[in-house]
Amino acid sequence: MTVRKEKAERLADEELMPLIGEKDPEAFEVFYDRHGGVAYSLAYRIVGEKAAAEDVTQEAFISIWKSGARFDRARGSVRSWTLSIVRNRAIDALRSRAGKAPKLTFDDDAVLEQRPSEQLTDDEAMRRETATEIRGALGELPGEQSKVIELAYFGGFSQSEISRMLGVPLGTVKGRMRLGLEKIRGELAEGLA
Amino acid sequence: MTETNHERWSEDVAAYLLGALEPAETAELERHAEGCEHCQAEIRWMTPAVNAVPESVTQLEPPRELRERVMAEVRFDAEPENVFADEPTAAGLLDRAYGWLRDLGSGPMGLRPVVGFAAAILVVAAVAGFAIGGGIGSDSGKTSTVVSGEPPTGEAPGVTAKVVSSDSGGTLHLANVKQIPDSRVLEAWVQRDGEVEPVEALFVPDRKGQASTEIPDMDGVEVVMVTTEPKGGSKSPTSSPLVTIAIPQ
Repeated sequence: MTVRKEKAERLADEELMPLIGEKDPEAFEVFYDRHGGVAYSLAYRIVGEKAAAEDVTQEAFISIWKSGARFDRARGSVRSWTLSIVRNRAIDALRSRAGKAPKLTFDDDAVLEQRPSEQLTDDEAMRRETATEIRGALGELPGEQSKVIELAYFGGFSQSEISRMLGVPLGTVKGRMRLGLEKIRGELAEGLA
Repeated sequence: MTETNHERWSEDVAAYLLGALEPAETAELERHAEGCEHCQAEIRWMTPAVNAVPESVTQLEPPRELRERVMAEVRFDAEPENVFADEPTAAGLLDRAYGWLRDLGSGPMGLRPVVGFAAAILVVAAVAGFAIGGGIGSDSGKTSTVVSGEPPTGEAPGVTAKVVSSDSGGTLHLANVKQIPDSRVLEAWVQRDGEVEPVEALFVPDRKGQASTEIPDMDGVEVVMVTTEPKGGSKSPTSSPLVTIAIPQ
């Protein structure tokens, strides 16, 4: 038996997951509507093609539908769990396409698919505001720091591979990653203050 | 733990959170962090920064068709007759197929008394099928075998299947198949020498619920199964069989 969608819409992500574990499609629909956009955007950012991004997003969400009951709230938020699944699947897709290098820039504006935005919920509006701030924080990082973060997170490269690719010592890569994340963390802390 | 030890691992926390450690390094760091409060605290503090990275990508509007495909698959899977206990592995399917064959081969008259009605129908149909097949074979000059199947208990009710084999290949015919979402296809699998392998061609039911596909090589095939799979097919079955057909050797 499923809950009504209106009821599901009032539930927090963490409250939706047990319902998804019980195979409630209306709960899942609310979950998709909340996170499908950022998931698709992340998949596109990593694989760089619309069709591949759709495949990755679909596979990730179906995997979540089948394993929703396995979400462990002790390990983070539903959103970060979801995005880590999308990221892993996208990196797998990227690696399986031999000879194609990942995109290495934050400039996605040129490929934006502009469609009228739907009514935004307060939460979504806040997330977008935060995302804008984070984009700003990332954009303000020194190029060498943002590059190693991009190569690792969006390209799926290990720190050793990045060291070889950039021709810099491994210790330098580690330091740049650390400094970059610390700056982002600092921006987040300031934003919350 | 010494401070030097901690510093050696602490340097890798950022790479760890960004997924940039090799698997062996990841395992080592996780082992160390279990007993290191400093590393645990660093991981906790830095995690929000990593979680923020995917939020930074430019937001695109996903295609409406993507939502429709995802929800069609979800609704299909949510229907009681399509809910599967778990994603079965190829090995699981194999066990199931073997178990089913074992049921047919034991007990009085080669049938265990507890074997379900569906299996009994299958055996009867299989025997009849051989006779029919022999007749067809005689007429056509080819060796043809017809085996009809009903799904085992708990699987999609009403689906019937038959395999018509000819020379080394065969044709699988299904009837009474429910309509499936656009995002899914039917995929046939054969079990040969204990290994489950996909049949290349994917297929979908027509409006009357009938579907068929060619099985190019029937040599040594012990069981034929059909599952629904995401468009494009799968390398191994990801749902329970709609129908399972034992091929008499």
